[in-house]
This record gives sequence, structure tokens and C-alpha cells, in this order.
Amino acid sequence: MDIYAEEVMDHYEQPRNQGELEGNDVRTARDANASCGDMIQFFIKTKAGRVIDVKWKGIGCAISVAGASKLSEYLQGQSLGDLARMSEAELVKAIGFQVNPGRMKCLTLPIRVVQKILES
Amino acid sequence: MFDPKQVRKDFPILGRVIHDKPLVYLDSGATSQKPKVVLDAEREYYEQHNANVHRGAHTLGDEATQMYQDARSVVARFIGGQSQEVVFVRNATEALNLVAYAWGLDSLRAGDVILTTEMEHHANLVPWQEVARRTGAKVELVKVSAQGLLDQEDYKRKLKLKPKLVAIVQVSNALGTINPVFEMTRMAHKAGAVVVVDGAQAIPHMSVNVNDLECDFYVFSGHKMLGPMGIGVLWGRGNILESMSPFLTGGGMINEVYADHSTWAQVPEKFEAGTPNVAGAVGIKAAIEYLEGLGMDNIRKHDEDIVGYALAKLGEVEQITLLGGRDASKRSGSVNFIYEGVHAHDVATILDSLGVAVRSGHHCTMVLHNALGITASIRASFNVYTIHEDIERLVVALGKVKQVFGR
Repeated sequence: MDIYAEEVMDHYEQPRNQGELEGNDVRTARDANASCGDMIQFFIKTKAGRVIDVKWKGIGCAISVAGASKLSEYLQGQSLGDLARMSEAELVKAIGFQVNPGRMKCLTLPIRVVQKILES
Repeated sequence: MFDPKQVRKDFPILGRVIHDKPLVYLDSGATSQKPKVVLDAEREYYEQHNANVHRGAHTLGDEATQMYQDARSVVARFIGGQSQEVVFVRNATEALNLVAYAWGLDSLRAGDVILTTEMEHHANLVPWQEVARRTGAKVELVKVSAQGLLDQEDYKRKLKLKPKLVAIVQVSNALGTINPVFEMTRMAHKAGAVVVVDGAQAIPHMSVNVNDLECDFYVFSGHKMLGPMGIGVLWGRGNILESMSPFLTGGGMINEVYADHSTWAQVPEKFEAGTPNVAGAVGIKAAIEYLEGLGMDNIRKHDEDIVGYALAKLGEVEQITLLGGRDASKRSGSVNFIYEGVHAHDVATILDSLGVAVRSGHHCTMVLHNALGITASIRASFNVYTIHEDIERLVVALGKVKQVFGR
């Protein structure tokens, strides 16, 4: 398994959709992995039950940053209902990165943040 | 002096291959590996002597009880205490919780001060926060200097608050600093405090004598000193242990039980409710005998040599910032560092891909990491089987971090 595959490093070096969103139609949440010092916050703008814009900000290791970046791309245009029905494992699959068990919590950090928004 | 290359032959796990590379185990501060004599001792106990202790008039029960008490005597001798002052627990964390709950809840009142340090492992901080919350006592922390030492001026200032309890770590798990525990204990006693010493990272690497230290409680885990997991030791001064209420209650720790009340067994049994970890006790005894066979003074010499070599070699790597002091004679067990621009977990994952096992994160010292202004660090930690080649393999493996991250 090449955990630092080209796609991971690409998303880490040039993270997509970084920034913040404001407005009544924007939902946000954040979470942290205390033992790593990593923190991720997502902003999701919705219209008619769909994601129409996504931004995120935070600090973290290569896996959590690349994971947040890739997830932010995946979320664009998705139906909130469909996303809410996805399990953590399905969202890991959607991101598509291979990590060993010890690093799974890095990859699931952005997922947990998005799930917080979907539950809110 | 022993030859660590010969010592390695006693540790079966060091023959492991990880990702097609021979294992370089540099995470002994988290848990040490175990020599075959320890594994054999546990196995022999279960295969030949297993029975519950302190009960049943049968031969196996007598043998198991004898082995358990022998282990207690060996631990007592090893640290210069008395057998009845040695309480077997699961680990250093449980020992500290025992002191916090059994001594702290009865002895601390609202407004009392508990003095500990920014350098503590969470095990010697969180239980005191909990006891403070329940009693209304207040936790004060001695500051750590930029050089990774306890600020002795700050300590003296805070002793003026007349703390009821001083809790200090002998060797920092995150900086390797050896603290002047004896001098600090003397000062604490003059201020009227009871002194608890967390010896988890000291006892694997140096000779410890609780009477020379003059502390009131000393705690450590078996698994960091070549022994098994699940066995640890609380040593406490006899008169203090006598005066304390039990921590956990139930079987094994009682004298007489009536429908509405009970009386307690003598110490140390008063603090050992339920079936104890007899195999673990047998294992820690075997570990102590193994350590004594190498000689604690030799072990400390080897420790200092490895720490010094690691400081020198890692100091040559451009991207690395070392944490803590640079004098190996004042450090033990580990070298901590950060890799500029790459997260500690990413560094550890890349090292693992080359068979090098290190710890990354805050090492259960979030307060210390905050005080140092960092979020996570990398720790290479050592034991009697660590050799110069391990450090050299670490340095070579760090080269791959640059390859992957380009910095």
C-alpha cells in the first residue's frame, strides 16, 4: 500500500476548496484529533436539498488535509439526503485513499466533520 | 558492560521483519520488548503452578501464593523497600489513581494545593484534576523551561503555597529529562507535602532506591522494564499506606465481612481487591532478575551512550529540531524531535514503511506540548537492546521523508 500516493500528495500540496463561506444557507462544523493537534472545519452551502458550494479550513497531517480536500470535491452537487445515508466507511471509499489502520482516524476526521453538518 | 548485540538475542521479537526490512524498534518508552526469560516464566507459571492465591488448601494454591509473594519480595528488594509496602496494580496509571482516590479524597480539603508539573504524563495530572474537582483543592503546575528542565525557581515559589501533595515525574517520557527528585522531595517535605514520584520512565534505565529518594509514594509499570503488560507497582511508605482507606473493595482485601460492614486486610492486601495478576507478578520478577543480571549501572551507561549517540546523529539532520536538553548525562531513555514542515504522524508512517517504529503525537503530555508551543512530536525511545545501528537506520529512514515531502 502506498499511503503517500501521487493523488494524496497532490491534494496535500495543492488543497482544493480551502476557505470559508458565510450566509444563512451555509452550515458549518468543526472537529479535532486532540492527539495529533489536527483541526478541520467545513462550510457547506445548500440549495433545494443539494450541496452547491463547499469550503474548508484547518491544519493537519498529509492524510487529513488531502482527505478534506478530496472530500470537498466529492461533496459538490450531491444530494444532502444521499450523503446523510452514507456510512463513514462509504465516505472513506468515496475519498478513495488507501491508509493503514493506524492512520484511519486522520482520514475520518474530515468525514466526521461533514457528518456533524449532515446531522445538524 | 554488556554487549547490546548479545542482549538482542534474548528478545525473540527483534527478529521480526516489517515491510521487508528488519525491525528497528525505537518505541520502548511506550512499551519495552520482553526477553525470553520473562515469556518463559509466565508460561511456566500457567503450565505448572496456576491456581488462585491466598485461598484453598491445595498444593497449586500454595505454590501460586508463594510465587506471588516471592515476586513482591523481589520488587521490594529491587527498589529498596519492604515487601508489605509493595502493592501490585495494573500499571503506573492505576497506582497514581490509587493514591489520588484512596489518599487524596480523604486528605485533601477545599482550598488545599496539589503541586505537580507541566512535564507530567497525563497519568500524573488528570487523576489530580479529578480529585481537585471532587474536594475543591487546586492544582498548580511547575513550569518547564525552554531547555526542557523544571523551573526550580518556580518550584520554590509554588512550595510557598504550602501544597499538601507534590507529584513529580522522575524521567520525562516526552523530553527524557532526569529531574532532581531527591532535592525536590527534600524541599517538598520541608513545605509539609506528601511526595508522589512517577518512576515509569526511570526504573527501566537506572538504579532506583525509594529510601534514598525519600519520597512517600513511587509508582511504575512492569511493561516498560522488560516485564509483561498488566502488572505495575505502587510503593508507599508503610505508615501512610496503613492510614489510608481502600481504593477498590471486594474479595481478597477484607478481614471480616458482616451484613452491614467489613474490616480490611493488612497492607498490601488491603489494596489488592479481586484475583491479582499472578502471572504478571511472576513476569515482573523475571524481568527484574534479568535487569539485575545486566546490572543497573551498566544499563544506565548504555542508556547514556545511546541517548548521546542519538542526539549527535539526529542533530546533524538539517530538518530536525531536537527537544529538551543536549546533555546525555542529564537525560534518559528517549530523544524527541520535530521535523520541520512535516506532521509527526506522516514522519512516523514513512519511518514505519522502512521498518523503523517510533512514537508520534503528544505522548500523553498535552500540557507540555502546549507549553513548548508545538502540537505533536516524534519520539525515538530506547532500552537495553538498542544499538547504534538502530539510530543509523533511523537517520537513513528520515531521508525518505525528504523524498516524499520534498522538504
